[in-house]
Amino acid sequence: MAALAALLASLPAAVFLSLLFEGIDRKLHARMQGRIGPPVTQPFYDFAKLLNKESVFPSSSSKAIFASAPVIAAASSILAGAIPLASLVAGTSVVGDLILILYLLTMSSIMVMIGGSSSGNPYGAIGFSRKMVMLIGYEVPLLASILPLSLKSQHSFSYHGIVQSQVGMGTCFAFAYPSSAFAAAAFLACIPAAAGVVPFDVPEAKTEIVHGYLVEYGGPHLALARLAKDAASFALSFLALTLFFYHPPLFEGHASLGGLASAILCVAFAPAMMFLTVTVPRTVFARLKVGQAFKFCWSLPLTLSALSVVLSAAGF
Amino acid sequence: MRQEGSAVRIGARSRIKSPWLFHLNTGSCNGCDIEIVASLAPRYDAERLGCVLVGSPRHADVILVTGPVTRQMLPRVIRVYEQLPEPKSLVAVGTCAASGAPFIGSGVIEGPLDGIIPVDAYVLGCPPRPEAIVRGIVTAVRRRFS
Ligand code: SF4
Repeated sequence: MAALAALLASLPAAVFLSLLFEGIDRKLHARMQGRIGPPVTQPFYDFAKLLNKESVFPSSSSKAIFASAPVIAAASSILAGAIPLASLVAGTSVVGDLILILYLLTMSSIMVMIGGSSSGNPYGAIGFSRKMVMLIGYEVPLLASILPLSLKSQHSFSYHGIVQSQVGMGTCFAFAYPSSAFAAAAFLACIPAAAGVVPFDVPEAKTEIVHGYLVEYGGPHLALARLAKDAASFALSFLALTLFFYHPPLFEGHASLGGLASAILCVAFAPAMMFLTVTVPRTVFARLKVGQAFKFCWSLPLTLSALSVVLSAAGF
Repeated sequence: MRQEGSAVRIGARSRIKSPWLFHLNTGSCNGCDIEIVASLAPRYDAERLGCVLVGSPRHADVILVTGPVTRQMLPRVIRVYEQLPEPKSLVAVGTCAASGAPFIGSGVIEGPLDGIIPVDAYVLGCPPRPEAIVRGIVTAVRRRFS
């Protein structure tokens, strides 16, 4: 019951944090470009504005899919952000929930793709095919980088089990073993592609294919599709922090305060993770071509994660 | 003052705070277009007011029209304007869009713009300064959305 209550409370928290993280990201991005930038609350205004706008259905679209895809996408990526929060707060471990989280993230990408391709717009179809290529590119190294963690924590695929095994070791996975250090590097290198930010935003390149799969969306549906993306980058940076950098002396210092204190600490440090993996790449690099983006995913992150799997199988 | 519900107030405030721009060139010489980009670039930074340049009219709230509306562009201007979801606002950027000058009287010009679609703010200048464009956006948004 406590776990369910924690999950229900985490859902609005995940929505709030996703929008807040987008605001922090946009502010930092602007400061790095020498601009003043929008206020941190800007995504909340954007969200409220889009919810209050008219929604338009193109006559060539298949309306049921077009309308429901962003809802499912937003729901699944908010859930992907809320499950880790809830299991940190409640301290419950569910078998295999890490797999569920990663597949919810994939689900949200697939749903916006399907929504875009059902719009009947050719740019939506191009966005679909490009997103498919990117999915194949980053999913393999992302999933492979989880394997060493599972091997090092008694073959557990439970999110909370992996976090707790770092407490047991007294250090975080990024510094514990060579294999998990490589896995951390692979996971971090996959985040920009998985969050779909600038060097890897080929599926929704504004200046090339007018927002790709988002082209026909407007109003509340666009708000949900954007929220899905924000929640995915929140979930990814939160996962990166807690799976690889959950340093017990830092995050587990007040055991008497329970899970809530360490969850709050993790939320407070997660923007640093997002700055490193979302803001810096999108400020520093220009957009890649779809082939280059795919090549990157299957060279650096895939090599790192393959190396980490081999090392962990060999016992390092 | 009319007593409004808080949902309406939040809606109006968020619309004023987040005007997304769509840029439509209707035969402009490109001078105004460069100044629109300059108003979004670091020096004038329209994003601090929430303005984002979007690529699809479906995402936009404010449409920035440059140029004197050539005959070829007339049906397209109307079509793009109709593609914006309600509520929407329109800014005529540059003397060409505002009055048609110096092309007024030409046989290939259908402008000025306000004879075709409703204009909320005019930004004069050839080309206008970026701060004038930012002011035009703010004026149009205040007039239409509050
Ligand atoms: S107003 Fe001047 S700068 Fe702008 S489109 Fe017309 S001629 Fe060009």
